Amino acid sequence: MTTVTPSQAPVTPPSGLARFWRRAPSSLRVGAIILAIHVVVAVTGPLWAPYGVAQMGAGIPLSGASLAHPFGIDQLGRDVFSRVVHGGHIVMLLALSGTLLGLVIGAVIGLLSGYLRGWIDEVIMRLVEAMISIPFLVLGLLAVSAAGPELSGSPLLVIMVVAFLYAPRIARLARSAALEIVTKDFVTIARLRGESPWSVVRRELLPNTTSVLLVEFAVRTGYAPVLVGSLGFLGFGMRPPTPEWGLMISENRTLLLASPVTVLGPGLMLASLVVGLNLFTEGLARILGRTVQIGQR
Amino acid sequence: MTVLRLIAGRVLVSLLTLLLVSMLIFAFVEILPGDVASRILGRDATEASLAVLRERLHLNDPAPERYVRWLGTLLTGDLGTALTSARPINEILAPRITNTLLLSAFALAIYFPLCLIPAALQALNRDRSLDHALSVVTLIIVSLPEFLLATLLMVVFVAWAGLFPAMSVVDDTTSFWDYLRAIALPGTTLGVVMAVYAVRMLRDNLIEVLDADYIRMAEFKGLSRWRVMIRHALPNALVPTLNVTALNLAYLVGGVVVVEKVFAFPGFGSLLIDALQLRDAPLIESTVLITATVYIGANLVADVGAVLLNPRLRTG
Amino acid sequence: MTEPLVAVEDLAITYGQGVEALAAVQSVGFTIGKGEAFGLVGESGCGKSTLAYQLMGYRHPAARATGRVLFKGTDLLALAAPALQRLRGDRVALVPQNPTTALNPAIRVGTQLAEVLHVHGRAASVEAAATRAAELFERVGLPTPRTIGRRYPHELSGGQQQRVCIAIALACEPDLVVLDEPTTGLDVTTQEQIIDLLIELRGRLGMSMLYVTHDLGVLAQIADRVGVMYAGHMVEVAPTEELFSSPRHPYTRGLIAAIPRLDGGPRSPHRLRGYLRRLELPEGCAFAPRCDEAEPSCAQRRQTLEAVGPGRAVACQRWRALGAIDTAGAGDGAEVAATDGASVLDVTGLTLRYGRQGVLARLAGQVPPVVVRDVSFSIKAGETFALVGESGSGKSTIARAISGLLPLVAGSIAFQGQALAPALAARTPDQMRRIQYVFQNPDASLNPRARVASILGRPIAKYLGLDEATARPRIEDALREVRLDAGYARRFPDQLSGGERQRVAIARALVAQPTLLLCDEVLSSLDVSVQANVLDLLRALKRETGVAMLFISHDLAVVRELADRVGVLFRGTLFEIGRNADVFTPPFHPYTHELLMAVPSAHLKRRRVPRRDSVALQGAACSYAGRCPWQKGETCVTAPPPWREAGNGLRIRCHLTLDELTAKAVWRAEGAAA
Repeated sequence: MTTVTPSQAPVTPPSGLARFWRRAPSSLRVGAIILAIHVVVAVTGPLWAPYGVAQMGAGIPLSGASLAHPFGIDQLGRDVFSRVVHGGHIVMLLALSGTLLGLVIGAVIGLLSGYLRGWIDEVIMRLVEAMISIPFLVLGLLAVSAAGPELSGSPLLVIMVVAFLYAPRIARLARSAALEIVTKDFVTIARLRGESPWSVVRRELLPNTTSVLLVEFAVRTGYAPVLVGSLGFLGFGMRPPTPEWGLMISENRTLLLASPVTVLGPGLMLASLVVGLNLFTEGLARILGRTVQIGQR
Repeated sequence: MTVLRLIAGRVLVSLLTLLLVSMLIFAFVEILPGDVASRILGRDATEASLAVLRERLHLNDPAPERYVRWLGTLLTGDLGTALTSARPINEILAPRITNTLLLSAFALAIYFPLCLIPAALQALNRDRSLDHALSVVTLIIVSLPEFLLATLLMVVFVAWAGLFPAMSVVDDTTSFWDYLRAIALPGTTLGVVMAVYAVRMLRDNLIEVLDADYIRMAEFKGLSRWRVMIRHALPNALVPTLNVTALNLAYLVGGVVVVEKVFAFPGFGSLLIDALQLRDAPLIESTVLITATVYIGANLVADVGAVLLNPRLRTG
Repeated sequence: MTEPLVAVEDLAITYGQGVEALAAVQSVGFTIGKGEAFGLVGESGCGKSTLAYQLMGYRHPAARATGRVLFKGTDLLALAAPALQRLRGDRVALVPQNPTTALNPAIRVGTQLAEVLHVHGRAASVEAAATRAAELFERVGLPTPRTIGRRYPHELSGGQQQRVCIAIALACEPDLVVLDEPTTGLDVTTQEQIIDLLIELRGRLGMSMLYVTHDLGVLAQIADRVGVMYAGHMVEVAPTEELFSSPRHPYTRGLIAAIPRLDGGPRSPHRLRGYLRRLELPEGCAFAPRCDEAEPSCAQRRQTLEAVGPGRAVACQRWRALGAIDTAGAGDGAEVAATDGASVLDVTGLTLRYGRQGVLARLAGQVPPVVVRDVSFSIKAGETFALVGESGSGKSTIARAISGLLPLVAGSIAFQGQALAPALAARTPDQMRRIQYVFQNPDASLNPRARVASILGRPIAKYLGLDEATARPRIEDALREVRLDAGYARRFPDQLSGGERQRVAIARALVAQPTLLLCDEVLSSLDVSVQANVLDLLRALKRETGVAMLFISHDLAVVRELADRVGVLFRGTLFEIGRNADVFTPPFHPYTHELLMAVPSAHLKRRRVPRRDSVALQGAACSYAGRCPWQKGETCVTAPPPWREAGNGLRIRCHLTLDELTAKAVWRAEGAAA
């Protein structure tokens, strides 16, 4: 923050995107390419997938990998490759919207708490600490159980659970970011000018927390498919026959000895999506000059 | 004196958090759908017998009253009785916890070398190809969900190599050797997951220490590279190592849930999942509260450890 | 001539490779004789520290060094690691810039010192090392030398930490000590003590020194010869006395002119303008873009050091034409401002505690300590009143209370004759507009995510109710007023230099058309050369806008130049107040005298008086008692000192009479002595 480095980024001429691309860290570039492939597959996949999501009789069950069925055929005679392709947009939408919801809720609570201070801050932060103290997945499972059978298996529940798990962690981060900026002299100057709290938050706090929140959003988005997949895998997420990748891995795991490729296919997709997201995040963080810790603890 | 006050403060805050957590858990279990009494007695129970059971279980009392009663029995060390099996929870938990502790011990045994060696290699070869290569490897592994990593290990070591059993089923009669075989894969999964996370954090911390002014000063005093490392860098790298290890311990208590499920290992984690699937309220409360306690405890140990290891906090 | 101890020959150091390569040091050569103190001076980023580290045999992984660095005839650049290790800490030692980060936080200071002795075989046993450590700690003036070794670095003050570092450097009685800005991070008074110590140690031990600093004033006291560096080049080398009396290089002249003078005498007009931009250097003389004397050919032709007299060399093709320059020159001199205007600010009996408190601390009955005690002063329209004192004296706290950021414990503040509500929320918008604050560090006081236009536009909109279109000419006016180009409006703060940022911060305060400007250490985060320029700006603004200023500073020389009246603050108590010229002539309050003695001076050889390092007594009636060198026995501890009127509005609060104070004063203004 305090170094007097001549800035390179701010003025971007029309051809700036190409220049930006060439200068970007390689992790960002590789990540972006992987993500682009995933997005294209997810968007167009349903149009060209050789078989339907739940279409049975695509081939001989458990017949293993072949050119026609790269990821093999599952127990019910469905083409795993087609199912994986159909599932892409589901995984991505669940992850993205859950994270976004968590970010908005968390950022609002955190920034407010950090700016208002006093006993409200104290109460909110104790509660946030308590929620964080229950391990991630355990709290998720508990929340899904509490939601009851009517909602179980609904995408809305999965989104809400992701947001519910993320919001306290993002709130804690947003609060500490706010606290750091509130003490800066330019905020004091704004207060001396008689600016309203809302004006201070909007003009001084928000612009200076965007990069923190952006990186946090990227990190969380990177973990969201893992979370959604883990819920599905344990039977607390989406329900069959949804082609959610975690759920598919769980379903086909019983076939592991007979036809490993039915597990490896969705596994490869899930892994490459998360790797792509994390590479992108790491590059983004480097551009924004922030340190980032990939993974959840 | 100040140290004691500092530690006492941390312990108090932890206890307060734990109290809040217990309320949270109780509230969640409270809104768990379904009537407890009818679940115990089954579909065809009469209204009269249900009423008797409700009375006996104090189900008609207001929630705060039941919370306080639950907390009271908890403090005596009694976790209550499980709904589905009607056995004391303490009895159910004991063998499960033993299994999970053994599994964790195995995971930690491979965790330390697996995180310290690569991190040190990366820090000492900063920005060279070895550093970059290890960065890519750890990024990929850290991106893998536990269940996927576990499944991949199964594909390799069970389906292709046939080295280990697919199901890590153990009981009292299991021999030591079979037990070790049973926990090898789940233990490795957990150890690796913890280690890659730690490596990425430790690398940066080690570099920060190596870049510190006092390290350069030590070199300017004419100390050998080796002595600078052992005497000046290592003590300052201990605190971050301890910190990330505590974070990992806290993670472990959640991580065992998935990994034990994958390998069908009869540990504490799979008990938690079973309890949730069966909606066994007292068992859910006990197991979730135990995970939170371990989580808070691990963080407390990290805090106190940092205080004790850092002279600045110790005497400041 | 005997062989010099150190000979640097054609040294060049480059960071990075290819197009991104940065030449930190280029073809530099100099020698240091046995027992000689060589000073290296230049602005931040000129490569002086990089150069100094080469004498420690330092090899940065990303840097490439060519040339030779000879120490007793051995080339350090080519020396193998084991031989280098034997040399380091034993024959050549370093005193670091920042002792707080240079001492290992996890190891006791005694152990850190003993380590050097053991490694170089200077102590046969643990006991011998401990004895030697105590001896060294005593020699560098640390209290309780026998036991202080058991402390951790954080248990010592900054000055004590630096003394430990000096003790470590001296442990093996090295031939050469490299000092890398050893006093930069320290308080003025502490700085002075460390410099005293270094001078004394050098006299006693006779080691050679390489002293790196950005502060020429320090070198005047300690160096035999000085090398001036600019953008990696050595531009002038000269014996210290001659460098100050007749600088040859235009850059040296600028540096000397930038040193504020305590005598209130005329200032040299040869100010430095602009700042070092390492990425936009011309092929030839690196200084050409900032040089007033440059000819077109300067930017093309490389300048090399040329002998211009015994022991003197300068790298400037125009040195003959410029001749020896009289450093005094013609200047605009100290100003006499109208001081009979109406009163703008009246502070009466102000008492303050520091900061707000958490709920828990308040419940526990903890009360924060009083930091300002019964302070009264007033500022008239157009007048500049300066508050001076060391850090922790409560200067900034007073400014915060005036601005409405801190509640009062007792006393009152009146603004333009009307009582000013202590709480910001209770003040009128007009009062908020009329009192403007400029902070010490422009890095923190400008929103890094806002362009200059919006930083200046917001107060214009808020105070004057102007929309964007009407505000634009105002923004340009404001920038012009602080001598910045209108094009700066589109920049972000990180695209400005430190001095430019402070100008923007000042402009932001001025657009409100204030009556009173609170300037809180506005110069102390800036480089010396930039300081001089901002100081000039403040003087001009004072003249042009007629704004009254509360100028808070720890730097007496700056205050001497700018203020109309001065108040001297120690631990929250005002000890002396009066007109600028009167405060700087006897009689002095003992604390004022201590401050004056602590100012390093480039224009005169130092006088040294025995000083007392002791700390002020807690709970004494006079807060300076215990530290005061002129203390009048028990009276100072038991009875509060009275105010004494010395005429002309000069008031001194002391038990000593004015005659006694005058008689004890040793310090005299430099101009008067010359």
